[in-house]
Amino acid sequence: MSEVQRKKYSDKEKNSIFDHEFMPHIDSMYNFAYRLTFDEDDAKDLVQDTYLKAYRFINSFEKGTNAKAWLFRILKNSFINEYRKKSKQPSKVDYQEVETYYNSDNVDYTMTSDLRVDAVKDMLGDEISNALNSLAVDFRTVIILCDLEGFTYEEMAKILDIPIGTVRSRLHRARNLLKDKLRSYAENMGYDTEEE
Amino acid sequence: MDKNRNKSSESGKRKLNCSDESKCFELLESILDGEETSSSKEILDEKLAKCQPCFEHYHLEKVIREILKNKCTKQMVPAELADSIRQKIQEIK
Ligand SMILES: [Zn+2]
Repeated sequence: MSEVQRKKYSDKEKNSIFDHEFMPHIDSMYNFAYRLTFDEDDAKDLVQDTYLKAYRFINSFEKGTNAKAWLFRILKNSFINEYRKKSKQPSKVDYQEVETYYNSDNVDYTMTSDLRVDAVKDMLGDEISNALNSLAVDFRTVIILCDLEGFTYEEMAKILDIPIGTVRSRLHRARNLLKDKLRSYAENMGYDTEEE
Repeated sequence: MDKNRNKSSESGKRKLNCSDESKCFELLESILDGEETSSSKEILDEKLAKCQPCFEHYHLEKVIREILKNKCTKQMVPAELADSIRQKIQEIK
């Protein structure tokens, strides 16, 4: 068993890891949880459950390694296993649809967007946040991990348990969907998004 | 219009069609995500100087990333959450 090789931490070490390596990520964890659940109480529960699991399995965490990625992986798995089930949204269907239709690694990068930089810069309100929230959970997740939290493709692959090629293609598709949303907002704001 | 004049004077220096948009855009997005090495920075500079579609794609992608980061990470963490977690940990110790 692999756990045998890993030394057990003393209570003092556990507390130190928990306070200095785990707790500093609580803001990011809560932001992620909130954007997955859209509910303050669910987000709190999800973060709390994640930290309790992290403490329970602290011996399988190697001190000084990437605690943030380790915690995000636990949170994402808890969300899939527990919260998604009780969610009112038909996200299970949603998820399978994504898996079936969008998981090919071949993406068309030539799909150009006529969205203007100026139009995006003028979105000072909640447009970008609403656009992000409107994406299916798998697309939303990759954008949160990459653009909000700054994870590398390799870290994302580990957090999501998918190959790097899939990370790359899912991210590209997610950004295209986000741009579609932003384009429709830009049109409502009176921007001319047609190419002249 | 100001916008149009800027656009045409900028694009005057750049070719209007990209020779390999698919590959270019993939590279540009990887660079913006911090995935590429230093050598790709030179390729990037050349593309931005010479190719209008690459130039536009790069700047749009860049501003979207910046705005996402500025607008979407401000969720206030409930004050009692950290304490409540510490308390639960004490209980399972
Ligand atoms: Zn190009």
